[in-house]
Amino acid sequence: MRVSSTQYFTTVNNALQDNNAAIQYVTEQISSGYRIQKPSDDPVGSVRVSRLAREDAALTQYKDNISALSTRLSYNETTLQNMTDDMLQARDTLVWAANGSNLSADLNAMASTLVSLRDAMFFSSNTKDQEGRYLFSGTLTSTAAISYDSTAAVGSRYTFTGNTNLQNVVIGNGITQAANVHVAEMAQLLNTLDTAIAAMQSPTADPNNPATQADLTAGLDAMDTAINTFSLKIADLGDAQNLLQTLDDSHTNMSLSNKQATTLLNNLDYGEASIRLNGYTAALQATQKSYVKVNALSLFNLL
Amino acid sequence: MSFITNALSGVQAAQIALDTTSQNVSNMMTPGYTRQGAQINAVNLHGYGTISPGNGVNVPKLLRFSDSYKDLQLWQANSQLGQYTAGYDYFTQLEQVMADDSSNINGGLDNFFSALNAASVDPASTPLRHQVITAADALGKRFNTLREVLSNQQLAVHQQRTSMVTQVNSLASDIAAMNKKIVSMSTDQFTPSGVIDQRNQKIDELANLIGIQVVDQADGSRNVSLRSGQPLVAGSVASTMSAVSNVSGGQDLKLNFLNESFTLNSDNIGGKLGGLENYESNVLMPTTQSIMDMASSLATNVNAQLAAGFAMDGTPGQPLFNYDPTSGTAMLTVNTNLVAQDLGFSSSATEPGDSGNLLTLIGLKDQPVSVSSLGSVLLNDAYTQLVGRLGTDSQQNSVSLDTAQTVRKQSEDSWKATSGVNQDEEAINLMQYQQMYQANMKVISVASQLFDSVLDMLH
Repeated sequence: MRVSSTQYFTTVNNALQDNNAAIQYVTEQISSGYRIQKPSDDPVGSVRVSRLAREDAALTQYKDNISALSTRLSYNETTLQNMTDDMLQARDTLVWAANGSNLSADLNAMASTLVSLRDAMFFSSNTKDQEGRYLFSGTLTSTAAISYDSTAAVGSRYTFTGNTNLQNVVIGNGITQAANVHVAEMAQLLNTLDTAIAAMQSPTADPNNPATQADLTAGLDAMDTAINTFSLKIADLGDAQNLLQTLDDSHTNMSLSNKQATTLLNNLDYGEASIRLNGYTAALQATQKSYVKVNALSLFNLL
Repeated sequence: MSFITNALSGVQAAQIALDTTSQNVSNMMTPGYTRQGAQINAVNLHGYGTISPGNGVNVPKLLRFSDSYKDLQLWQANSQLGQYTAGYDYFTQLEQVMADDSSNINGGLDNFFSALNAASVDPASTPLRHQVITAADALGKRFNTLREVLSNQQLAVHQQRTSMVTQVNSLASDIAAMNKKIVSMSTDQFTPSGVIDQRNQKIDELANLIGIQVVDQADGSRNVSLRSGQPLVAGSVASTMSAVSNVSGGQDLKLNFLNESFTLNSDNIGGKLGGLENYESNVLMPTTQSIMDMASSLATNVNAQLAAGFAMDGTPGQPLFNYDPTSGTAMLTVNTNLVAQDLGFSSSATEPGDSGNLLTLIGLKDQPVSVSSLGSVLLNDAYTQLVGRLGTDSQQNSVSLDTAQTVRKQSEDSWKATSGVNQDEEAINLMQYQQMYQANMKVISVASQLFDSVLDMLH
């Protein structure tokens, strides 16, 4: 087959350009660490990598939510614990008050203790956050949880003006967890306590008076019930925290598995890449040397 | 003494052959140069007497070593090459813009839904609500940036098309002029090889721009027509092409020959013009429409869901997104009158702390939307599928480009095998014709000596 002089030149030129282009591509891969530089390098692979990234972004957000929720639940737990401590103290006072050997002056003194405990529980129930929203009103966050009406009769001055609806937080795909707790039972407790206090504040208070005895007993029963209810609420919060921890671990594992899959799909195998780089560089050098040698061969040099 | 005239004819023939060889050597690197040779024929006897070996040698004409089938292959390979080269740069740019994780729409959607998720921890919190609006604004900006890139590409395609059409017109008129020159210069003895080479170069450049068919005419001219049959060059008459805007936002190619005008069918144009047409109709415009559909569906679905919920003051939720299909730079924007409290996260007018509607809003991520070139896909997956499609199309283009380059190279090699100059071959020819010249000159000098000895005889 006949070969023209320029044909050799163009063949070598194309070979050099191809080699240079291949070397540039390998260098780009090595410097970025990724096998796939643009979608057309591996369309199916790049779709898979993209989908893994979407899932990972969602998992990161779920984990953030879990940690914020955990903080909020801890705060709720602490506040409820404070209220329960107040209730225990009030209970002890009521037990002491029911003792028949108390004088009315003793009962008056105990009443003032109970007043401060009652007010403490009332203010705790109406705790607000930094933006002025009530924490224990259910979803009626701009309304106080417990409202006080001084014009009403003793025993019905406190009403629960929140609701028992839940604020749900997303902590997984389709998984939600309630962030709030309500204190509906507090209203009844405060009213019963109020009645007992009124009986104890009277100047002629007498623990042996059957009516007073009834009020004190009612107060004690209500206190017991409330302590149980609130302890249950605290236990529920503890369960919720455990669930959050479990989910957090699960999300971490999923995220790790996704990252491993992404690495397998998209990370550059440096060994293979450096072998490829060496191969192209060697080919480039060989082409250049052989071109110079062959190009020097010409009959015109000998004429 | 016919040997002196024989020798003279030998010297003249050697001179012509040496001229031809020197022309080949000097044009060794000229692109498109077809090598020539001298056709040397023995002159048969036509003289006196019955015993005569012949009357020397003559060169009736010069040979042109060309194969018109190889020319045709060369031009067809160039059309294929042009077709896949045209789209290559556009594909690469669009891929890199759309796949860049830090700026693409998938990242924006992730951030938007993350902000909504974060707001579910405390739906009445102003900073968390505000973050949703900020994320929505950022998402809108990403959509708008991509839309701008797409429309800039379309502008660039139109500009490139217009300038290519100008080039086609100038090449066609050059070819027509050369046809005329070649016809007037050709005789039985003389082929204007240089002008034919120049014309072939022009045809080659034309083939790169648009798909053509070439037919040789008996008078030496070449007629060039488009793949669909319309004439571009007929003898010494050239047509002109133009690019005119059409209703769907693209451009149509029109051919004007004499007083008639044809609009070209966009299917089978070939060459760079064909490549641009394929890219614009099959990739650029559908992708633009898909992005617009995604933005429109996102805006409609989010706004509708917000309207079904209630703001913190109990009024129905305000719309978050504005979608404007006519704008090139502000297709998806956030409602500027919206403040954090107006987002309709609650599902009840009386409960500001409720997050029921917010949870439904978050669920929009996995709702199907209708996107024109993909059909019904999940909102969160639509963009990934779009990029996947683009990647596949681009890969096909790259592969076809590689093949076209290989075919073009092979056809060039094949053409050069016939018509290219080999310097060693020319060096040998040089030496041989030089010897022929010197030998014939020697014969003349011997003839001269013989004549001198005849004259000496007379003294």
